[in-house]
Amino acid sequence: MASAYYEFYRGSSIGMALTDSLDELITSGAITPQLAMKVLQQFDKSLADTMVKQVKTKTNLKGHLRTYRLCDDVWTFIIKNPTFKMESNDMVSSQKIKIIACKNGDAIEAGKK
Amino acid sequence: MSFALPARQITFGRTNVQQQPYQFQQQQQPHNGLVLPGGASLQQQQPGLALPGPSPLFNSYTHPQAQAKQQTPPTAAPSANGAASSSNAVAGPSTPPASTIPATPVPLTLEQQHITAVEGIVPTLQNIVATVNLDCRLDLKTIALHARNAEYNPKRFAAVIMRIRDPKTTALIFASGKMVVTGAKSEDDSRLASRKYARIVQKLGFDAKFSEFKIQNIVGSCDVKFPIRLEGLAYSHGQFSSYEPELFPGLIYRMIKPKVVLLIFVSGKIVLTGAKVREEIYTAFNTIYTVLCEFRKP
Repeated sequence: MASAYYEFYRGSSIGMALTDSLDELITSGAITPQLAMKVLQQFDKSLADTMVKQVKTKTNLKGHLRTYRLCDDVWTFIIKNPTFKMESNDMVSSQKIKIIACKNGDAIEAGKK
Repeated sequence: MSFALPARQITFGRTNVQQQPYQFQQQQQPHNGLVLPGGASLQQQQPGLALPGPSPLFNSYTHPQAQAKQQTPPTAAPSANGAASSSNAVAGPSTPPASTIPATPVPLTLEQQHITAVEGIVPTLQNIVATVNLDCRLDLKTIALHARNAEYNPKRFAAVIMRIRDPKTTALIFASGKMVVTGAKSEDDSRLASRKYARIVQKLGFDAKFSEFKIQNIVGSCDVKFPIRLEGLAYSHGQFSSYEPELFPGLIYRMIKPKVVLLIFVSGKIVLTGAKVREEIYTAFNTIYTVLCEFRKP
């Protein structure tokens, strides 16, 4: 099961913080690297599940789709001049963003059937 | 080539020398093509619905064209003029009288260049489907991973779907190296797009060639701007028609020569498909136009 989860949340700020802490614990000898790996795998799973089940915030995104790609069930979109309209009516814009969209754990399992 | 042909080339936006043989073939086709379906329908109609209209229409319509073809190059222009005017005159009352066309070979107007144009209506090309053989095995995953605007979902479809913006087209690229390019609006665009896709594949490190480019289908559409009695048409052209309004609101007309399928709607909108060359669309439209005039809704 654990292998069904993507590891890209490890690159987020919370993932980086977790990795740093685990590194410290390993160097100080408090935990073994195997345990640290286990923790990270659980982190992948928990974050993926949490994003699906608990995050209800929505945003509207508008922009020009410059490039798209679908390979290995992963969509990649590069969007020029996107503007995000948040639920609080805040507007956030940027010159270019890249969206990487993956299936969550359930969808991966469903796809295998 | 004759004077008339460059004029056609301008109209069709053709610059490619390689495609000229097609035009040559096509030059003969309108003659045969116009006669056959019409002739067949005439024979059909004789016992039952006696419609005296079509026979003079067909004759006066095809004749000038045939003449134009037989002309020698220098004198081809005036006769092309004549063909344009008389084919227009056939079509309806709104056409200008033949006397307005000067005898000297002045530059032809766009409409006149279309020897095929009836009532100034020329079908617009909507889609061209072409195939190319890149002549090289392809690893689709590499292509999907590195090319832009590519989709590859082997569970759904065994080809990479790739799009470019100019000319706005879609390509299906198969592992065998065969490619299907759709969506172009002209032959040149189709070829250019196909070359661009081949180049993209080349740039990804495959030894792709550009071979066996062939246009497989051309779709055109137009509007005759009058409503049509589809039942009447289906009845008297039963051999070619299939009209099942409960299944599909249009009449499906399978013309034999040129081999083109037409979807004819009550509104007067026409879709022509199945042609391999542009001229087949034009010929098919001209052939059907005279028929449609008979079945104009009062």
